[in-house]
Amino acid sequence: MEVQKLPDTKEGRLVAELLEKAPYAEGSVRRERRIEFRVPKDEVKNFLRLASEKFEILLQITVVDWLKEGEFEVIYQLWSVSENVHAMVRTRIPRDDPRLPTVMDIWPVAETYEREGHEFFGVIYEGNPRLGPFILEPREYEKHPLRKDFNMLGYVKMVYGEDFDRYDESKTNYVI
Amino acid sequence: MGERNDDFITYELQEFKLFEPLFRWARKKSLWIVAFCTGCGGIEMPPLFTARYDIERFGMMPNPSPRMADLFLITGYVTPKTLKRIIITYEMIPDPKYIIAHGSCPINGGVYWDSYNVVKQLDKYIPIDVAIAGCMPRPEAVMDGIQEIMRKIESGEADGWKRYRENYEWYRKNQDELFGEGWRERDARRWLAWI
Repeated sequence: MEVQKLPDTKEGRLVAELLEKAPYAEGSVRRERRIEFRVPKDEVKNFLRLASEKFEILLQITVVDWLKEGEFEVIYQLWSVSENVHAMVRTRIPRDDPRLPTVMDIWPVAETYEREGHEFFGVIYEGNPRLGPFILEPREYEKHPLRKDFNMLGYVKMVYGEDFDRYDESKTNYVI
Repeated sequence: MGERNDDFITYELQEFKLFEPLFRWARKKSLWIVAFCTGCGGIEMPPLFTARYDIERFGMMPNPSPRMADLFLITGYVTPKTLKRIIITYEMIPDPKYIIAHGSCPINGGVYWDSYNVVKQLDKYIPIDVAIAGCMPRPEAVMDGIQEIMRKIESGEADGWKRYRENYEWYRKNQDELFGEGWRERDARRWLAWI
């Protein structure tokens, strides 16, 4: 692992302080008030528990689907009120068995974000009691429509008819 | 147009045909709107009712109750989840009822044309009397649509509620194709396990 020299700023000191407690993580400073960590998936709960001393607010949990690598990238976006720093904690989980421990006991708001990630990508957050139907219709619930291998146009034509536009010429292709 | 549907309207006695122009004039002058905001058009409705573009001078009023309303504004995109509520609300409105589709999404899906979750052709599921294009339409455009529906009510062309009665099997078939048979009961029962 190439060791990056951390700048001598508020952000650099924050990253260095966290990495000292958590040597399994990689950290870097993106720019002013924006820092980034990469954590292996087994350690992500420990790392977030350490980080929650400085980062009081969980802003969002986003999931990115990397189809070629066969992995989901789960990004926890944290905000520190005391330091005014936005941190992204990235972790990668395999696509065929997407499991992560829940972080509801650290930030209670995580319940909603985890339900959303479960519904749209099928990530299973172990320990969250309310993973179930949330936003989508029952028809789409098992389909995980935001995954990259979800055939959007084919599904739309299946649900709304082969030619779902109302005019004579068909406008139901991506490239006209 | 008025002659064709005369035998269909059974509850309006033939004697009242004399007063029909008066009724139409009265209906057009006191349209009450169900305050059912779908999508982005919800924030386009308040400017219509406030001091700048005051449509209360046309006798219109936003009303939370579908039982007291005449006019249903579909403002913006309609998802299948909202469409269930829209159909239920529309069927609760008593009979002279009119729909204005507002924005380009109810017309053909708008920018959400390839979305799995936006209804593309709204008039397959409920009858639309006037459609206003634009994303979102200016309040002037909405007021133009309101003038249009007033004209149609006066001339008897706004017959969406009659079309819904006459062709109920067709609308019902399309709704059932989208949601599946017995969706009203299933949707009511769906959340019981998660209370």
